[in-house]
Amino acid sequence: MLLSFDHVTKFYGAVIGVNDISCRIGPGITGLLGANGAGKSTLIKLASGQLRPSQGTVRIGQYDAWSTAAKHHLGYSPDLNSFYEEMTGREFVDTMARLHGFSRSEARRRTDYVLEEVGMADRGLRRMAGCSHGMRQRIKLAQALVHDPWLLLLDEPLSGIDPGGRREINELLLRLAGQGKTILVSSHILVEIEQLSNSILMMSRGRIVASGTLAEVRNLMQLRPLMVEIVATPARRLAALLAENPDVQSVEVRDNAVTVRMRNPQRFFGQIGELVCQHGIELRSMQALDAGAEAVFDYLQQGRP
Amino acid sequence: MNLLRAWATLTSLTFRRLLWSASTMMVMLPLAGCLLFVLRLHYHRGRSDFTFDEFRHFSDFMILVFASFVVPICALAYGTASLGGDREDRTLVFLLVRPIPRALVLLAKFTATLPLVLGLVVGSFWLYCRLAGEVGQTAFPLYLPALVAMTLAYVCLFHLFAVAFRHATIIALIYALFMEVVLGNLPGIVKRVAINYYGRSMMYAAGAEEGLKSPDAEWFEPLSPDVALWALAGIAIGGLMLAIVVFSRREYRDLT
Repeated sequence: MLLSFDHVTKFYGAVIGVNDISCRIGPGITGLLGANGAGKSTLIKLASGQLRPSQGTVRIGQYDAWSTAAKHHLGYSPDLNSFYEEMTGREFVDTMARLHGFSRSEARRRTDYVLEEVGMADRGLRRMAGCSHGMRQRIKLAQALVHDPWLLLLDEPLSGIDPGGRREINELLLRLAGQGKTILVSSHILVEIEQLSNSILMMSRGRIVASGTLAEVRNLMQLRPLMVEIVATPARRLAALLAENPDVQSVEVRDNAVTVRMRNPQRFFGQIGELVCQHGIELRSMQALDAGAEAVFDYLQQGRP
Repeated sequence: MNLLRAWATLTSLTFRRLLWSASTMMVMLPLAGCLLFVLRLHYHRGRSDFTFDEFRHFSDFMILVFASFVVPICALAYGTASLGGDREDRTLVFLLVRPIPRALVLLAKFTATLPLVLGLVVGSFWLYCRLAGEVGQTAFPLYLPALVAMTLAYVCLFHLFAVAFRHATIIALIYALFMEVVLGNLPGIVKRVAINYYGRSMMYAAGAEEGLKSPDAEWFEPLSPDVALWALAGIAIGGLMLAIVVFSRREYRDLT
């Protein structure tokens, strides 16, 4: 079964949340990457049937995502930190299981299983109000898994989880993906997605600006221009040498700092070490000025209608 | 998937959360105030027999204070919190992604709220009547139908508020204090926007059996008890239906 978006547009009044998105997401883990405000959460809310598209259709398998029938197949971990705080983690997950119509004993059995899976079996009796952020993330994941859905929508599931916990959650998600489940994980941190997924949807300003395998998206990113500040002595000599490099678009010198704008950063970084060694230039520091995710998305957004 | 079981779970969850909520503390104050009044009445009466003045005094308090002010406060405290609490706490999202039709989610909220509010209203009214002695025993069967009908109408209306408005408690409070108290006491047709006008019409008609008269009948212009009952039933059913329709179609963008 597929999660499919067909020419989906969502308006919030005059503001556009997502703009003419069409894609199909199949089994395995797909990373949904984008800066804050890119439209990731809107896309996930459309997929989880919390929002209805202004235009187009969102389907979970054969069902409209808004319909009750679609929600049998959906597990959703929202990007919020709200729970029934008076409950323990176990009670919360058990209640969510029983809201799926399971009997008391079946709900208990499933709760035990998913708490074990997310690493909360020994901490399930702690009240939600007293749980750390990482524990709350695990409980959110557990309630999304408790009815064994084939589609998992996870909105920033790794935020606030320590590195050891991330590894455990990643292993769990990879195991679930291996069982044929469709998992859509949103994040604004590329590294998080890299460890999980081979397939990426990259969003910016309400549109999908890149999609494909990680290698394909990375190739797109490697060709983008980058601005780097290099502190070196003598700076003017370095600037002159860099100006001869065909990948360098502009060079600016101020005191000991050289600001370079280049395309194909991967090739540039491969050459710079050799260059400074050959000409005896003392390199003190090198810092990318626009390497943030937003810059990447801005670049990928350029030239798109 | 057993839908009935899911509905029962949500009803039970809502009931427990409402019972142990701040709303319970909030309604205890006016209920305790009424209790003090009834105790004072009982103390002053001593061992004297039933008199019309006592009945009128007790009835006026029950109609003008308990039914017109305390009952709507009880209904709004729970009626808006049953769904509005989930909305404000942003836990509603966990319910909306479950395979329970939205209409059933709202009905579960309603069926959890109604017995709680009815229990409080009828239970406290019964207690006041017991404490008031013969006057109360006379008043209890006379006013009970109107109080039940009013409670039902208020609970349904405040569920509609909870579905429609972000800060439903504040809107409901404004409604209860302004529309019900001020507009409900204006001369002319304007008072028909207030639920308590219909309730009072029923209560004064019932009290008339014991000789009770509505104050300033000229401008109060009570409806017949049958018409008032139908009006309250209409408000209850219409309000609940409208709440179900709105809730089934509405996007809650403020949840995450």
